[in-house]
Amino acid sequence: MGAGPVRRPPARLVRIFIATFFLAGALVYGRTHHAPDLVSPIREIFPESQRMEVQQGIHHVYGDGEILLGWAGAESAAGYGGPMLLLVGIDTLGRVAGVRVVEQRETPIFWRMVRAPEYSRRIVGSPFDAINYDYQEVVAVTGATLSANAIVESVRASVTKVAGLAFDIRLPVPPRSFEFGLLELVILVLFSAGVVGHRLGGPIRRQLRWAGQLVGLLVLGFWENSPITLAKITAFLSGYLPDPRNALAIYLLLAGFLLTSIFFGRNLYCLYACPFGAAQRVVGAIGGFKLKVPPWAVRLMEGVRNVVVFSALFLALIMLQPALASYEPFAALFALRGSTVQWFLLFIVLTASLLIQTPWCNFFCPMRTFELVVLDTKRWLKGRGGEGQ
Amino acid sequence: MQIFNSGLFWFVEGILFVVVIMAVRAWAADRGLPMPVWKWLLFLLWLGLAGFTIAFVGTSFGEGESVAGTRGGFLFGLVTIIAGVGIWRLLLAGPVSDGEDAVSEA
Repeated sequence: MGAGPVRRPPARLVRIFIATFFLAGALVYGRTHHAPDLVSPIREIFPESQRMEVQQGIHHVYGDGEILLGWAGAESAAGYGGPMLLLVGIDTLGRVAGVRVVEQRETPIFWRMVRAPEYSRRIVGSPFDAINYDYQEVVAVTGATLSANAIVESVRASVTKVAGLAFDIRLPVPPRSFEFGLLELVILVLFSAGVVGHRLGGPIRRQLRWAGQLVGLLVLGFWENSPITLAKITAFLSGYLPDPRNALAIYLLLAGFLLTSIFFGRNLYCLYACPFGAAQRVVGAIGGFKLKVPPWAVRLMEGVRNVVVFSALFLALIMLQPALASYEPFAALFALRGSTVQWFLLFIVLTASLLIQTPWCNFFCPMRTFELVVLDTKRWLKGRGGEGQ
Repeated sequence: MQIFNSGLFWFVEGILFVVVIMAVRAWAADRGLPMPVWKWLLFLLWLGLAGFTIAFVGTSFGEGESVAGTRGGFLFGLVTIIAGVGIWRLLLAGPVSDGEDAVSEA
């Protein structure tokens, strides 16, 4: 260490440390005060059950006179807002006796887009080795692939577990490969355009930015409804990592966001790919106004945004429900689905975009808070590194 | 309500519609703005959209569908406002001829 005075972290970084401490506490609380209730759904599936016995992770269910009624297994799979836990009951003849959703953390909007009860009813009575695992059967409306996939994979994992332990039959698990499609390709192209634009600057940067954002608006927005949301970030922070084989896009988006923030000092997701940012810019171009917001109002709104982001994260982590954190109006615009509050927010933000430049990005977007956290931490670590040399 | 089903309501509605169109015509003439057919078409389309928005919200609430009325109001209201601003800017586009203002200033 050098002989100079020890450099203190700036006030904003101290606030980041304190917020991180409380959020970590909320996560620990959420994790330790959380145990799914499996008994009630097992009783629903096997109404004659008198006694249950857990052996090697599956429930052996007995009725009157110690007669074995069947088995129940519960396994989870990653959905949109976190893991989804489904319990499957199998009778002694090897048929599905019932399926229950024990836990799900999807936003109500996404949950309404899947047909979980219909799928559950359809597979009741099927032999465990002849269940239809096509997630398309579960999707009611396009855009809920992750949720539908989680339902199917959770059922598959539960059935496989019961079949292996109760019937000593190893069910084949189909090999799964990474799903790399248009969305993933577009994300890579957008970040590449961002890097080129950032390096070149000038009018090319402006043109690339417009082109990138318009493509982002169409593909990440209206086509796939896949912008980065606070719910997705909270799911990662909670340790609920989606399967990268069918959720590669969110990994690419978050990696792009983090890496460009660190290496370029400005995240290129917001500048080149964010569909909601693009929507505001388009509306701003229609309006043609660029009113200046006084600096005190900017500072005030930044403070309000940070408090809102912290509160949403804290609530979601303590309740272990990442979807609770999502207050963005993205789904209202891109999927025409949202709560009344989200519709109201959408109305306010896009109307304000006619007058002020990208109001959501400047005053409400949680990504700006995360970007500042990354940049402040990087700056401080860099300063400390400089001290040590 | 009974008033909305009466002939009087639609009579007043028709008068208002004509007054709005005449007002736009007078406003354009006043500012010396050329009003070709495409501008009139755009304006009438927007007027229809605005009328639809008001009717959607009104009928939804009238039928006790307050959630649909609120959300539809936000959605169609937003589209109406943005389209209105865009069309307003288009109406102002084009060479300004000598209108009444120009005459009075002279």
